[in-house]
Amino acid sequence: MSENGQAQEMVTLTIDDQEVTVPKGTNLIEAAKQAQSEVPYYCYHPHLSVPGNCRMCQVEVEGAPKLMIGCHTQVQDGMVVRTHRSSETVKQAQASTLELLLINHPLDCTVCDQAGHCKLQDYHFEYNAKPSRFLEEKNHKVKAEPLGPTVILDGERCISCTRCVRFCEEVTGTGELGLLNRGDKNVIAVHPDKELNNPLSGSVVDLCPVGALTHRNWRFNTRMWFTDTTESICPGCSTGCNVRVYERDGKVVNVKARLNGEVNKEWMCDEGRYGFDRFIPESRLTSPTLKGEEASWDDAVAAAKGLTSGKTLVLLAPDLHLEEFAIAQAFVQQVLSDADVVLAYRERTLTEVEAVLISPDYAANFRGAEFVGLVSGDLEQQYTQALEQLQKGAYENVLVVGDRALCVEDQDQSAFTLAMTQASCSVGILSDARSKLAQACAVTLPSRPFLEKSGMLINRTKRLQYARKVIEPGQGSEPSWKILGRIAQAAGQSIVEARTDRDVTLSLLGAEPRLKGLRIAKISREGICLDSYTPEESPADENASGDARA
Amino acid sequence: MGEQRQILLTNINEPDQNTLSAAESRGAYKAIRKALEMDPLKIIDEMKASSIRGRGGAGFPTGLKWSFVPRDTGKPVYLITNADESEPGTFKDRALLERDPHLVIEGMLCSAWALQSNWSCIYIRGEYAYPYERTKRAIEEAYEKGYLGENIFGSGFTHHMVIHRGAGAYICGEETALIESLEGKKGQPRLKPPFPAVAGLYGCPTVVNNVETLANVPWIIENGGAAYAELGVENSTGTKLVSASGHINKPGVYEVGMGYPLLQFIEEECGGIKDGNNLLGVIPGGSSTCVLTADECKGVNLDYDSLKNAGSSLGCAGFMVMDDTTDVVEAILNLSHFYSHESCGQCTPCREGGHWIEKIFRRIAEGDGRPGDLELIENLCSQIGGHTICAFGDTMVLPYRSFIQKFRTQFRERISEVLKGIERKRNPMDFEVGGVH
Amino acid sequence: MSVAISDEAQKRLEEIKKQYPDPKSAVMSALYLVQEEHGHISDESITWIAEELDMSPVRVMELVTFYTMYYRKATGKYHVQVCRTLSCGLCGARKLMDYLHERLGIKPGEVSEDGLFSYEHVECLGSCGTAPMCEINDTYFENLTPEKLAGIIDRIQEEKPDLHFSTLRDKLGEGLSGCSKSEVM
Repeated sequence: MSENGQAQEMVTLTIDDQEVTVPKGTNLIEAAKQAQSEVPYYCYHPHLSVPGNCRMCQVEVEGAPKLMIGCHTQVQDGMVVRTHRSSETVKQAQASTLELLLINHPLDCTVCDQAGHCKLQDYHFEYNAKPSRFLEEKNHKVKAEPLGPTVILDGERCISCTRCVRFCEEVTGTGELGLLNRGDKNVIAVHPDKELNNPLSGSVVDLCPVGALTHRNWRFNTRMWFTDTTESICPGCSTGCNVRVYERDGKVVNVKARLNGEVNKEWMCDEGRYGFDRFIPESRLTSPTLKGEEASWDDAVAAAKGLTSGKTLVLLAPDLHLEEFAIAQAFVQQVLSDADVVLAYRERTLTEVEAVLISPDYAANFRGAEFVGLVSGDLEQQYTQALEQLQKGAYENVLVVGDRALCVEDQDQSAFTLAMTQASCSVGILSDARSKLAQACAVTLPSRPFLEKSGMLINRTKRLQYARKVIEPGQGSEPSWKILGRIAQAAGQSIVEARTDRDVTLSLLGAEPRLKGLRIAKISREGICLDSYTPEESPADENASGDARA
Repeated sequence: MGEQRQILLTNINEPDQNTLSAAESRGAYKAIRKALEMDPLKIIDEMKASSIRGRGGAGFPTGLKWSFVPRDTGKPVYLITNADESEPGTFKDRALLERDPHLVIEGMLCSAWALQSNWSCIYIRGEYAYPYERTKRAIEEAYEKGYLGENIFGSGFTHHMVIHRGAGAYICGEETALIESLEGKKGQPRLKPPFPAVAGLYGCPTVVNNVETLANVPWIIENGGAAYAELGVENSTGTKLVSASGHINKPGVYEVGMGYPLLQFIEEECGGIKDGNNLLGVIPGGSSTCVLTADECKGVNLDYDSLKNAGSSLGCAGFMVMDDTTDVVEAILNLSHFYSHESCGQCTPCREGGHWIEKIFRRIAEGDGRPGDLELIENLCSQIGGHTICAFGDTMVLPYRSFIQKFRTQFRERISEVLKGIERKRNPMDFEVGGVH
Repeated sequence: MSVAISDEAQKRLEEIKKQYPDPKSAVMSALYLVQEEHGHISDESITWIAEELDMSPVRVMELVTFYTMYYRKATGKYHVQVCRTLSCGLCGARKLMDYLHERLGIKPGEVSEDGLFSYEHVECLGSCGTAPMCEINDTYFENLTPEKLAGIIDRIQEEKPDLHFSTLRDKLGEGLSGCSKSEVM
């Protein structure tokens, strides 16, 4: 069954003596995964056209006069397929392809950014691992040639798989890249008048299976094996691109899109990628403050109790996790007597190319706020109206959660600051010490930006995803759910009992009927489409998931 | 069996045969009149009955190819004449297009009617400027006469014909590369399936046939498929144009009945070996076929089966003769340069392997051959053949393998001279300094 | 951008586009037209053609670099292309190249000082039966010897004949007087 509920015609075949059943139309590369057989490939990509040029994915199909390429061969009932695991011919063909791919390759792994995550290295080790018989002089091609502001080319490392060319042709439609010349003189290039410069341009580096295309701004900054890797979600907009983040010494040193056919294929926008750490403030709140002066947690929390009397505006950042929204909802219901809740939400106009992937908001989890019932309807209108009302003095108190609780467009309004200072109680649960919000709030409580915490997000298409913590939390900070819990406790209410982000996630998965039966591991894989998810009756047994990293 | 027959070259030496009036006075455009009164499917039956096989090199039965074209897709059917003729050793299509273009046009018209195609195109290699001009003029004449355009011969059939110049790329002779090129792209072969008969030019059903194949169609229509099948020998019906070149006294285009004895062809048609030298070997079907040594040529006939049994193939009958003064190392280096220059570069084995082999052959020729080089080339051939997108890789290795296999002694001698420190003065066939491309 | 080709050529291109079910098929002719007017194909011309045919400039650039008959820099007024492939090789093509090297004093790919000549070796031109041979611009000269080629070069210098194929006029130039344009039969 596909996710949209339509029954698919299934086909049964044998791969490496194992019977597998897959949907009709599946190619042999994908089908082999079901038999735990790897069919290696360079040029193939599940979301691009199939050129069949690398010849790495050759497999033996019984009855076929020669080896077939897995990418272009669809499954058929009763087909008998052999990969390198059970066919000497396939093994030889793959070893041969690798030998040929490497004859003109400079073998400069020692200075190549791709080293450690390079398909030439990996496959050569797995499928050839023999010294080359090539004694001739290698071809020379362009080196260190910038193709545009983001990407740089090493022509000699290129294996002419054309993934980058096809991406720009088929996905962005911008067509900047071409493969010039013919034979072994061919080389990736742009037309001199038109550089590779589109909103998704960095994706070609992810797609490049070798070190031919690398990021200009992350060039030569680290060896990949010295990095820690986290699979997370980009908080830039509500598309919720699946990403893999490489961190070294507390710094993001590379970001790659992670394959998810239901969300971002394997694409990512440059704004999200190259600005992945843009939400980590340069200057951190390291302790609570009262009217700009450092204060103890107890004093600050006591002051925040002022929110409980009078009408309160709750301004929420749209990239808070679902768990944080759930706690905020409990806080609003149980602690505040009279509150309006709005989310910093504004839409923008996207260009045609941006619209391929990017959502017209900067609100990664607005669907999460809707899910828990904090907001609904026209979010942008509610937000702008609330700001107007605040400036008119309609609210006695203001609670701000998250650095991004004020849209960039609204940061320069002095009327906002004035209104905040006139509020009888203004509390900010924030991490950025220099932000407009931190300066405007009478009480600030140091919390954590997106990359320092784990939790769930719901994207624009209502897919529940799990974003893992990328870097360690800043000194003196507390999770915002915990801070809300402390204020509630001071007001005599118990809204959360948990020690870690993971505890909060588990208790939400256990308590929320619409999420029954889900586990962190299951959500982490490809996300869960909430529109088609049927909650399971049995409670989630999270201990069995073996997922202790959250 | 094996006697010479004239189907295609009957009027080739008439100086005015390229004009419509002269061609028509000698019988041109009779077959199309007859064809238009026939059921299109009946023509396909006649083609099947003739057993004619494609003359471009692969030898696929033409009638069968036509029968693969679906007739109910609602999409137009396109007919393309492959006049890219770039196989080294071949120049027969050039002769037809230059000297008797109306024969080709008429063949295309008959085929177009059979396929119910309203648009056809002659894809002619860019270098053939003169054949282009002659054929283009012939098409214009046919339009002026109403033999092309709307309501041809009052039949209600409409057909438009275009002639399209390539721009220098051997690979465009491969039918799917040709289609890509015609669509305004680089000429790079497509993955198959789908085959052009189902999804070809602009995604529509398309038939691509060689010039010579289509030039046979008028005769088949006029005389019937069965009569054609009487000519030649079993599995190789009709006549074949042979482009003869190399060390012979009378090179040129010859039409022979299929099954004509190879050595007799050299002696009687080609006037024997030049300068009274002895025959070393023949590449019988164009450079992408296996070389036959003088010994192997004995008893072999010019037809599909006989040449196949001899370990080579008829290909497109680009018949290249080498006498015993030929330096085989230089000869195969010459061809290996051709193939690496013409590889489209799309798939790994051909792009990388082809160049590698050229480099090894060059090293051997330059006096730096090493023991194991020949075995390495043979091994590389097996890494290329059968592993590429198109037949270019499969066929490029045929001359390499056969040269090494059949002239191993000469190759070994060359390598051992190096080891013994003997210096040989090279007599290279090409000019090493890099050209414009 | 300045008009990349003459009005006449532009008109011709429109005609050619109409011949095909998809006008993009006219791109190869468009390149020929530009080359005919400018002697070579510049980056600006590539951009112009791309706009004319609604293609990405790099797609057009791919074609210019894939097909050997398009030149990104100017050749001599008479560009001699000696066929080097097997039959011509067997029959002495190398001697023609050596002769050109000696006569013109330049290497393949270079242009003679007077701008009149350049030469290169090319792959099989489909004239194996009349080997060795060469193509000067778009006109074939067959059954050559260095002596015959010498005579041809002399006469070209004197007569300055039109040896080009003109896409604009859809016609091959008048050629060298008294020289057959083809010796295939």
